[in-house]
Amino acid sequence: MSQEHSSLTAPVAAVGRASLSVVNEMGAMALFFLDGLRLVFSSWSQFPKMVRQIFFIGVKSVSVITLIAVFTGMVIGLQTYYALAKFGSEGFLGAAVALSLVRELGPVLTAIMLTGRAGSSMTAEIGVMRITEQIDALDVMAINPMSFLISPKLAASIISFPLLTAWFDLVGIGGGYLTGVMLMGGNAGVYTSRVESALGWTDISGGFTKSLVFGVVVCTVCCYKGYFTHLRKDGVGPEGVSSSTTSAVVMSCVLVLMADYLLTSILF
Amino acid sequence: MAAELKAAPDIRLEDLTVGYGDVAVVRDINVTLPGGKISLILGGSGCGKSTLLKHILRLHPPIAGRMYIGDHDICGLSKADFRCIKQGLGVLFQDGALLGSLTLGDNVALPLREHTRLDEAAIARIVRSKLSLVGLEDFMAYYPNQLSGGMRKRGGLARAMVMDPAILFCDEPTSGLDPINSAELDQLLLDHQALFNMTIVVVSHDLQSTWAIADYVVVLGDGRVLFQGDVDALRATTDPYLRRFLDRKAQGGAVERLEDELDRSLMKEDCSKYWTSLRK
Ligand SMILES: Nc1ncnc2c1ncn2[C@@H]1O[C@H](COP(=O)(O)OP(=O)(O)OP(=O)(O)O)[C@@H](O)[C@H]1O
Ligand SMILES: [Mg+2]
Repeated sequence: MSQEHSSLTAPVAAVGRASLSVVNEMGAMALFFLDGLRLVFSSWSQFPKMVRQIFFIGVKSVSVITLIAVFTGMVIGLQTYYALAKFGSEGFLGAAVALSLVRELGPVLTAIMLTGRAGSSMTAEIGVMRITEQIDALDVMAINPMSFLISPKLAASIISFPLLTAWFDLVGIGGGYLTGVMLMGGNAGVYTSRVESALGWTDISGGFTKSLVFGVVVCTVCCYKGYFTHLRKDGVGPEGVSSSTTSAVVMSCVLVLMADYLLTSILF
Repeated sequence: MAAELKAAPDIRLEDLTVGYGDVAVVRDINVTLPGGKISLILGGSGCGKSTLLKHILRLHPPIAGRMYIGDHDICGLSKADFRCIKQGLGVLFQDGALLGSLTLGDNVALPLREHTRLDEAAIARIVRSKLSLVGLEDFMAYYPNQLSGGMRKRGGLARAMVMDPAILFCDEPTSGLDPINSAELDQLLLDHQALFNMTIVVVSHDLQSTWAIADYVVVLGDGRVLFQGDVDALRATTDPYLRRFLDRKAQGGAVERLEDELDRSLMKEDCSKYWTSLRK
């Protein structure tokens, strides 16, 4: 009887334990983020490190973001053109492309691309530093590893994500122009004027807020996973680094999409 | 009030038990490493020398006991106070622990850039002089992965010494170095000790350098402190394990055990099969 009982409740208990550990980890990440943010302004010497990270996270991602944005814009231009043509309202193409990019696809796709390109390498870099005692070495040199390693990355993400998102939106709208106007033969003037008239301040500020939040989420998750690589139970040494990188990427993407839903329902 | 280290502080460990989680590695350590001297921590591989060092540096919490550097109870200090103490410590990790993303020169310059207001020219001068002490002045622009193991270790030592610390901890400074470099490194430690009146703690299993540099010796083994005292006392010891360690005798019976193994018919067969297959 009691065995039946436990086999019935076991899945529930497992779900409970898993949820508790997720909540726990989220709390720890939030504290980690606040600690890192506090140290951004700790000294002037943070500034050159920040610039280097902006170069790494931001500048080096421009080409891949451009590529993704062009093709995303082109696909949306094409698909939406077909859909609108069915109702004879091809003139709204510019509005449709601009709104879907600025409110949704720009922030989300940029965040997911940056997770793959910059986030994963942050986790791997910090994780390797952890297992090769480089973080311990910083600590005993009286250099706070949080302010030396994490804060510049956080600041750089907070700056880079919105800028890259804005670039994504711009290039994506250009991609829509390529297919909707130049390929399908829509009216160029109508396209651009619809883009301009459709976009309101809420759309733009909402997209901006989203990208800011995503930058914080991605950078915090990726740095946190790398920083605590040595505490993982599912692998030690290089294996630990690889599993924390995987889980950082997965968790970042999931959290970005969850945050996206929440923000969409709050902001718009 | 910020905590500050006096010159040449001693290190006192009282009833200290170190380990990871609940697993103790070395128990009941009651040791005073004298200030202004070179102390050696000796012991076989895996007996907990590096572990003890990491606990003194507060990288792991001790299981029990207290630790003092000078007058400071280092377990009781706040993070900020201990950071002040750490500015007076130099540490060479077992494999150098140079930052992989910085060149050797930048690695050595790092503590100066973070903790002093020296201009770049002065920093470059200090870095060059410290690197020339360890014979690496031509490798300033190399990244750690472009250096050999022994070079990384010497680079790590240059970084540990760059702030002229009150206490220098070295985890196996001479392992992986050739005899000439080891002897030079020993001399370097002696010179620094004499020149700057540092407390130097060296973890080692290199007996030759023990006799060359040590003032005070602590031997770990069996999960406890086997011996502590000055070098002459160690030289005169009659403890059987210590004598074996000092006279470099192998643990008896290894050869007999191997012969026993070989006697087992199965293994003999395997071996002879292996040899005949090679001869074919
Ligand atoms: N992070 C760790 N977690 C758990 N146990 C550890 C950890 N690091 C070391 N140990 C264990 O502690 C013991 C002592 O290790 P330590 O690295 O201190 O040895 P050591 O005396 O420095 O040896 P060597 O001379 O080979 O460097 C070993 O049995 C090791 O398995
Ligand atoms: Mg060791």
